[in-house]
Amino acid sequence: MEEFPGELRTPPVALVALVGFPELHAPITAHLHAEQPPINALALPDISKISVFARTPKDNSVPVRPVPGILKRDWVSKHRTRIPAVVAALFSSDHVSGDPAQWLQVCNDMDNLKAVTKPRNIKLVVAVVTQSSSKDEISEDRMLALRKKAEIDAKYVHVFTTNDPLELEQSLNRLRSSLAELANAYYRDEGRRIKSRLERKNLNSIELHIRCCFKVAVYAEFRRDWAEGLKFYEEAYLSAREMVGSSTRLPPIQRLVEIKTVAEQLHFKISTLLMHGGKLAEAIMWFRRHIDTYKKLVGAADASFAHWEWLSRQYIVFAELLETSSAVLSDVASATSGIAEKLTELEFYSAYYYQAAAQYLKEKSSCLELALSLSEHADETDDNDQSVSSVYVGQFVRLVELGEAVVMQPLTDEEFIRYALAEAKRFQASFEIVALLKKSSESYNNHHMLRMASYCGFKMAREYFTAEKFGDAKQSFDIVADLYRREGWVALLWEVLGYLRECSKRIGSLKDFIEHSLEMAALPVSDANGIQSFMDCGPAGPLGLLARETIHKEVFGLVRGEQDILLNEENNPLKVTDDTPLFLEIDLVSPLRVVLLASVAFHEQVVKPGTPTMLTVSLLTQLPLDVEIDQLEIQFNQTEYNFIIVNSQRSHLAAISKVQPGRRVEMAPVLKVATNRWLRLTYEIISEQSGKLECMYVIARIGRHFTISCRAESPASMNDLPLWKFEDRVESTPIKDPGLASSGQKAIQVEEPDPQVDLKLDSSGPALVGENFVVPVTITSKGHSVHSGELKINLVDTKGGGLLSPRDVEPFSTDNLHVELVGVSDRESADQSDIGSENIRKIQPSFGLISVPIIEEGKTWSCKLEIRWNRPKPVMLFVSLGYSPYGRETSSQKVHVHKNLQIEGKTALTISHQFMLPFRQDPLLPSTGKAAAGSDTTPVLPSKETSILLVSAKNCTEVPLRLLSMSIESEADNKCTVRQKMEEPMEPALVVPGEEFKKIFSVIPEETIGNMNIGTVCLRWRRDCVRGKSVSSSSVTDVCTKQRLPDVTVEPPPLILHIVCPAHATLGVPFTYAIKIQNRTSLLQEIKYSLVDSQSFVLSGPHNDTIFILPKSEHVASFKVVALVSGSQQMPRVTVTSTRYSATFQPSPAASTVFVFPSKPHFEQNGTGDRKLQSLAVE
Amino acid sequence: MVREVSESCVESLLTEIVSSYCTGFYANKPELAARRIEAIGFQVGHQLSERYTMDRPRFSDHLEAIKFICKDFWSELFKKQIDNLKTNHRGTFVLQDNKFRWLARMSMDPSLETSGSIQDPAAMAENKSAQAIGMHLYFPCGIIRGSLSNLGIPCAVSADISNLPACSFVIRIKA
Amino acid sequence: MIVCVAVVGHQNNPLYIQSFTEADDALKLHHIVHCSLDVVDERVNNPKKSGPTLNETFLGMLYPTENYKVYGYLTNTKVKFILVTTDLDVRDADVRNFFRRFHAAYVDAVSNPFHVPGKKITSTIFAERVSNIVKSFGLSSTG
Repeated sequence: MEEFPGELRTPPVALVALVGFPELHAPITAHLHAEQPPINALALPDISKISVFARTPKDNSVPVRPVPGILKRDWVSKHRTRIPAVVAALFSSDHVSGDPAQWLQVCNDMDNLKAVTKPRNIKLVVAVVTQSSSKDEISEDRMLALRKKAEIDAKYVHVFTTNDPLELEQSLNRLRSSLAELANAYYRDEGRRIKSRLERKNLNSIELHIRCCFKVAVYAEFRRDWAEGLKFYEEAYLSAREMVGSSTRLPPIQRLVEIKTVAEQLHFKISTLLMHGGKLAEAIMWFRRHIDTYKKLVGAADASFAHWEWLSRQYIVFAELLETSSAVLSDVASATSGIAEKLTELEFYSAYYYQAAAQYLKEKSSCLELALSLSEHADETDDNDQSVSSVYVGQFVRLVELGEAVVMQPLTDEEFIRYALAEAKRFQASFEIVALLKKSSESYNNHHMLRMASYCGFKMAREYFTAEKFGDAKQSFDIVADLYRREGWVALLWEVLGYLRECSKRIGSLKDFIEHSLEMAALPVSDANGIQSFMDCGPAGPLGLLARETIHKEVFGLVRGEQDILLNEENNPLKVTDDTPLFLEIDLVSPLRVVLLASVAFHEQVVKPGTPTMLTVSLLTQLPLDVEIDQLEIQFNQTEYNFIIVNSQRSHLAAISKVQPGRRVEMAPVLKVATNRWLRLTYEIISEQSGKLECMYVIARIGRHFTISCRAESPASMNDLPLWKFEDRVESTPIKDPGLASSGQKAIQVEEPDPQVDLKLDSSGPALVGENFVVPVTITSKGHSVHSGELKINLVDTKGGGLLSPRDVEPFSTDNLHVELVGVSDRESADQSDIGSENIRKIQPSFGLISVPIIEEGKTWSCKLEIRWNRPKPVMLFVSLGYSPYGRETSSQKVHVHKNLQIEGKTALTISHQFMLPFRQDPLLPSTGKAAAGSDTTPVLPSKETSILLVSAKNCTEVPLRLLSMSIESEADNKCTVRQKMEEPMEPALVVPGEEFKKIFSVIPEETIGNMNIGTVCLRWRRDCVRGKSVSSSSVTDVCTKQRLPDVTVEPPPLILHIVCPAHATLGVPFTYAIKIQNRTSLLQEIKYSLVDSQSFVLSGPHNDTIFILPKSEHVASFKVVALVSGSQQMPRVTVTSTRYSATFQPSPAASTVFVFPSKPHFEQNGTGDRKLQSLAVE
Repeated sequence: MVREVSESCVESLLTEIVSSYCTGFYANKPELAARRIEAIGFQVGHQLSERYTMDRPRFSDHLEAIKFICKDFWSELFKKQIDNLKTNHRGTFVLQDNKFRWLARMSMDPSLETSGSIQDPAAMAENKSAQAIGMHLYFPCGIIRGSLSNLGIPCAVSADISNLPACSFVIRIKA
Repeated sequence: MIVCVAVVGHQNNPLYIQSFTEADDALKLHHIVHCSLDVVDERVNNPKKSGPTLNETFLGMLYPTENYKVYGYLTNTKVKFILVTTDLDVRDADVRNFFRRFHAAYVDAVSNPFHVPGKKITSTIFAERVSNIVKSFGLSSTG
């Protein structure tokens, strides 16, 4: 784009001139420039300088001279920089209103001014500059006269006030708007004038027509009338196209050059306008047409380079326009609709044009070379007559000095070509091409068009290559090769690799040279598979099997040291020698995997130490010829298993001397890898060491100094061969066994040796909560002696959920540990305390680590684990013994024995309790009556009354237990008295499984309280020792199980109902049955009671009654009752209702049951028994 | 050019494939045999999908491709469409054919018809005939997988024969 | 005249590429075909707004180079066909027709049980058919 003069590249800006009052020019110019649209201003200090605008007198005497050119080179710039549209004449108010002499001077200046502006139709503005803001300073008459003199409208005469900033601002604005308006008018008038010439169609030449169109368009641009500008540019462009072939004015070559240059300029304007108008697609369509029209117009062969240069420039300029146009980013989507249907995405990318530009530039440079070689003799032409551009666009002339004067002479075509050649020679085409391609490549990359980018990169690299910049070339080729490799474009890769090989050779990089050569030789190219032979593949030579074989032979000659390659001019042959050994590494992503692929598979996945297993090493190459390997080394992660396979035919050659002493060496009759055929070698391998044995590398040595190290691959996880995977070839597996081929691994797990030690865990049934449950652990050596043994103990919840205790989160407390490992007792430790000090012994609630002393073969050692359950829970006990069977090497070869045991933790005794009231005594407890519906409330006890507490403990285990004692421990501040009803049994009670042990306590609450703590039941028990077995199972320690009794509510009973009745009756003998109601309150109580008849009894007395009981007194209702039926009989039920508490209560059926004897019984001691019962009831 | 293939030929061929792989080549390695049969199906599906999608626009999403399998592809293969298509909208599709043609002529011990999915080796072990049917289903599973993978949808396909002669194919698209 | 046709596989690898020029620019055609894949990607990923071309197998002209026009076709199975021609005036219908016949030939070729999916097409019958289709390009509809 820089090729165009600035006036073409930017939209034109109106030009005005300021005359007079130089000190004001700076602020006015700045103001005009700052506003939108800007106006440029020429500043002339005084009127006399006005003559620069004067029209040069035209020689009208030769009117029908043929037009010498199409566009004048400087016409636009003339209008943009030299010929103003408006002249603003600034006069001092002093002069205007001054003395006659000054006034005359003003008039004179005005005349001069008009003399210049009139012929050019330049508009005029007059400003009278005054210091003060008062207008009356300037006389009206003078102003009028001035206006008349200037022949302008009154609104174009301004008074310009300078002293006040505000006034100045206003004056500037006024002046500016006049100037803008007039400038617009000027350009419109000029445009119209030329347009009318066009319309009259009396232009006698097409050149003039183009020129006029161009002028109209430029004037329109001045007015920012883009549409009209575009229209006339287009017309001019189309006319210029018609000139092709019809114009005869110039010699043929230059004729074309002129038209193309004009077309280029017009096209540039058109594209600029279109793009600025956001019509991207149209601009692209125009460009296409432009190229289509002119591309074929190469012109004479010896000037063809100029054509290509021109074409290339078209693309560059358009690309630059596209890049700068903001519309590119925003509008591709919308631009693609409509007329752009036929455009492709690519045409919206500048990269596309840069790429084409580079292409044509390359064309140009090759044409130029040809032209230069043909015109070798013309090089020394005398340069004293200089060729320069003429005043017309696209024309060149020769300056000839004729004495004093310099005359411009038209050139002949020969002279023109000579000139153009000289110009072109100064220009570094190669450099330029690289720059264009680089730009294009980067731009494509930004749009994620990697393939386009790499094609550009390829062309760029080739350009570097021709320019002998091999380093740069190699770098670019490497990137490109990568893509082709990835996508499997073999032919393209071949070409690139050929270049790379050449580059490496020129740089002197032997390793790269060999690598590239090997890759080329292993490319999937054969003559048969339909790829045509390519003749032009750069330095690689034609593609084909033959070429691959040639390369193969060359490389192997080189690496064996049998050949060398002459590299560069310095006569420095590339050679593999002692000093320059060559080492290639092929990993899983290397492109050289096709050269040598090593697959290694163990025939087993797991093996015992010392047991032999088979290992198959398979090698595959895609090189076209057989490769003979002198020596193979197989390397493992455990280096002591590394071994070497020597080709017996070449053992004299191989570097067997390098082999470390003691290394295993195998001889193979031949080590020849043929194309696409696995070389399978199977060897036996014995590993002594447990752990993972993995094959890492397979290293092939060829010749004395050449080594290829291949990363070993497992057949199970082997990737396809790059490039070859697309080929239709016979694929075989590295191992014949299909199972191994699909699942073979290059690593093997060597197990640890079988333990020859018994680990025994004993347990006797379930553990009981609370006791220290003992699990004896016995280690018996059976063939291995145990050295540095370690016993690991783990307790794990069988239901999952990991360890039993949140070990680190909370400090240990027995509450949150359901099961804990309490201790380990080991029998010997007591008498061998000196050894114990260095033993490891770590015990945590769920984990333990104990060191085991040395156990000789055949000996036994045991210890006991003590585990305590705090909650019933099944637990998995894991015990593992790690030891080394051979004394000294403590570090390696540990053997492990694992055992586990599930142990159930059970509650030994379940404790239940029951509250009861004394016999035939029912206190009315208001809260019980209310809460009758909801059953499971806390029990309510009457205060200051005796209640009975029955505690029972049931043996839920399967073993008999000894109960030592049962007591209730009350807390310190207890508000109730708990007494034992029975004395402690002397002998611990034996509770067999399922049996219940009961004990009665009496409770007398002292206070009325909502929730009273009665105490904790404390049960001491132990397992019943059955002789002999007890030792092994568990310790015979006493266990104390505690259970807190639930709280009770204590209430003062307002009423207490006693039923007085003998314990037994005799058939037919009347007895008294009394209801005694005690009022404990200080209130009068209304009580209703009712008796329901019973069939078994005859009853006297009221069945229903309402009675009032005085405070703190009692009422007794007595009935005489005669039993009619013998046996245990239900007395008539009494129901008592308290009106005050609206509570009804009934004695329990048990309380109102009496036994009726058929006749009076005879008791031995009936008196005492009777009394005892009685007394109990009274208490 | 319409080429038709005798239905009974295809069925015999399938039976023969299964029996030769299960009792011949890989007699004691049922999983290897299954893999081979599935691979044959894969290639068949791969090639058929190439042909049957020839004259249609490209599928814009997975569902469209699955629908193609259910309708056109199934019609070409079995002269009927899939009867029921279910999806969880997270890449799993269940295609149910109420009367799967290749199972139509197979009998099964009615007492053992409560077999589970063929992918479940435990269920297979207890049921010989379900196992045999399962072997026959690796081929159509392979066909579905092959055609979908050729359409650019990598997936895993299994079959479920819990209520014969209906057969459900479960397609799990790999994310 | 058609100068080159190509079948490009899932990994953008050439499955079949054949040029029909006497001139020695086969490699250049490889480059052109390879580059055109970028445009295929672009067009498939950002389809033009216009409705009917959406998801159509025929992709239209991919890009013009100085001497060639490149057309593309993307099958449902994500296999790309590329056509390079030197003709300036190419009718869309001709190209569509070409691709349809080419597709049929391709399907027949890959349906060969001995063809392994994803590998290069080496069938000579296919090559013959392609060369016939290429020869008759533009004739059927004009004649």
